[in-house]
Amino acid sequence: MKLFDSRDPRHLLMVGFLVLAFLIPLVIGSSLYYLTILILMLIFIIYASAWNFLTFSGQGSLGHAAFFGLGGYAASLMAVKLGLPSLVTLVFGGCFAALIGVLIGLTCVRLREWFLAMVTFGFAVIIQTLIVSQLAPVTGGWDGFPVPKLVPTTIPGYLMIEYYLVLVIAIAVILIFRYLLQSRIGLALAAIRENEVEARAAGINPVPFKLFAFGVSAFVTGIAGSLEIFHFGYITPEIFGIDLSFWPIIYSITGGLGTLSGPIVGTIVVTLLWDGLNALGLTYARFIIIGVLLVLIIIFLPRGLVSLPEEIRKRLKGRRS
Amino acid sequence: MDGTIGILSQVAFWGLYSGCIYILLATGLNLIFGVMKIVNFAHGEFLMLGTYITFFLFVISGFNPYILLIGSIPILIIAGVIVERLCFRPILGTGKLNEIFISLGLIYIFQNLVALIWTDEWRSMRSPYADILINLGPLQLPLDYLIIITVTAMILVSLYIFLQKTALGRAIRAASQNRKGAMLMGVNVEKVDMLTFGIGAGLAGAAGTLWAVSGQVFNPYMGSIPAIKGFAIIILGGLGSIPGAIIGGLAIGMVENFTAFTLGGSWKDAVSFILLIVVLVIRPTGLFGEDEE
Repeated sequence: MKLFDSRDPRHLLMVGFLVLAFLIPLVIGSSLYYLTILILMLIFIIYASAWNFLTFSGQGSLGHAAFFGLGGYAASLMAVKLGLPSLVTLVFGGCFAALIGVLIGLTCVRLREWFLAMVTFGFAVIIQTLIVSQLAPVTGGWDGFPVPKLVPTTIPGYLMIEYYLVLVIAIAVILIFRYLLQSRIGLALAAIRENEVEARAAGINPVPFKLFAFGVSAFVTGIAGSLEIFHFGYITPEIFGIDLSFWPIIYSITGGLGTLSGPIVGTIVVTLLWDGLNALGLTYARFIIIGVLLVLIIIFLPRGLVSLPEEIRKRLKGRRS
Repeated sequence: MDGTIGILSQVAFWGLYSGCIYILLATGLNLIFGVMKIVNFAHGEFLMLGTYITFFLFVISGFNPYILLIGSIPILIIAGVIVERLCFRPILGTGKLNEIFISLGLIYIFQNLVALIWTDEWRSMRSPYADILINLGPLQLPLDYLIIITVTAMILVSLYIFLQKTALGRAIRAASQNRKGAMLMGVNVEKVDMLTFGIGAGLAGAAGTLWAVSGQVFNPYMGSIPAIKGFAIIILGGLGSIPGAIIGGLAIGMVENFTAFTLGGSWKDAVSFILLIVVLVIRPTGLFGEDEE
C-alpha cells in the first residue's frame, strides 16, 4: 500500500486539502467564531467517518449518538471525579463506548436490517431516558455538569492548540480506517457486505468481523463525543438527541456512503450550509432544509456528492453520442 | 385481598388503554410493511402530527375532540399518500439502507415543520369528560379511557371489514401476500402502495388524536418514544401481521403499566425496549416472524 502517489489526482487533491487544513487557522487565527466552527467540523468528520466505517461491514446504525454520548459521559466523569487530564480520559471514553458497542453488536450481528435499525434507534433514546432518571444522581439529570476543557482557556491561543490537536486526531483516525480497509480485514468486511452466505462459504466467519466493525466504530465515536464535550466544557443528556444520531448519517449520505472521502466532503458541505443558514437567522427552517436535502440526495444522487464529477461526465458523454 | 385484585385490575385497565394507542400505531406499521416491505421510521411523526392537528382543530372549532377524528384521519391519510408518492416510491427496491435513511429526512422535516408552526413547547388538551369516573365494583374507570378503548375497537373493526369485504381491501391483501402475483392479476400495485401508506398514516393520526384527548402532553419531538414501542410490538407480534400487532400492543401496554406500577414510572419507557432486545436475542427474526427472502 502506498500512502502517496504523485500521479494520482485524488492524492494531490488530498494533499492540497491537508495543507489548507494546516494553514487555515493562520489566516483566520484571531476569529474565535470561525475556529470554533472548524473544530466542530473536524470532530464531526471523525464522528461521521466512524459511523461510515460500520456501513463497510454491511451494518447500519440509527442511534450512534448513544456511543457519542456514552463516550462523552465516561470521559467527563473520569475527568471530573478522578481529576485525570482530558487527553487521557478521551481514550477511556472511547474504550467504554467500544465495550457497549460490542455488547449491542452482539445482539445485532444476527439481525436483519430492519431490526438492527430499530434496536440502534431505540438504544439512544432509552440511554437518554436512563441517564435523566435512574442514573441522575451520577449524571446530574437534565442539568448535566461542567467538565474541564481539552486545552485550558488560561493558555494563550488555546483554541488554536485545540484545533491542531483535533486535526491530528482526525488525520490519524482516517489513516487508520484507510489502513484497516485496505488490509485483509477490509477485504473480509467487503465480502460480508456483498454476500454473507458466500463469505461464509469462503471460510470467513462474519460474526467476529461484524463485532470488530461495531467496536472500532463505537470506539472512534466515543472519542469524537469526548472531544465535543471537552470542547464545550459542559455535558447534558441532549448529547443523546435524535439529531446527534442523524448528523453522521446525513454527512455520510450527502458525501457518499461507503467511501472514505464521503463523510469528509459531506461534513464540510453540510456544516457550511448549516452555519450559512444559521447566519441567515433560520432556526427550525434549516432542519427542514437539511431534511429535504437528505431526501433529494437519496433519490437523485444515491452515491453522494463524491460521485458528482463522475455523474456529470456520464451525463455529458451521453449527450455527445 | 380484595383491594389487591382491585388495584391489579385497575393497572390492567390502564394497560388496555395505553395498548390501544400502540395498537393503532403498530397496525399501520405492519400494514405498510406487509405491502411495501419497508419500515417507516417516521411513523411516530405521523402520530405527533395527529396530536397537533387535533389540538389545532379543537382550538379553532371547540368541537368535542372525539369528533375531530373525522378531521385528523383524512388529513393524515392525505399526508401519507403524499409522502409515499414523493419519497418512498422513487427509491422502492433500491436497497434497504436507502429506505431506512429516507425516513430520517422525513423525521427532520415533520418535527421542525410542526415546531415552526406551533413552537416546540409542551402542550396538552383537556377532554370535556376529564372529570367523569365510572365506578365498576372496586374499579374506577375514567370515561375517556372507556371511549378510547371503544373507538380503537371500532377503528380496527372497520379496518377489518374494509380489508375483507371491499375490492380495494382485497387488492391490499393480495399485494401483501404476493406482490408480483397481484401485479399479474391486474392489481395496480403502485396505487395499493399509496393507499396502504395513507391508511397506515391515518391510523397513526387516529392514535395521535386519542393521545391528545387522553390528556397526555405532546411536543414536536415526542414521536420517537411511541415509535419505539411500535417497533417492539411488531417484533413481538411478527413483522407484517395485524393480529400480531393487536396482541403485541396489548402485551406492551400491560407490561408497561405493570412495570410502572411495581418499579416506578421512570422505567415505563425503557421496559419495552428491554423486552425488544430480549426477544431479539432469543429469536433474531422476532417472536412469530418467519425467515423470508
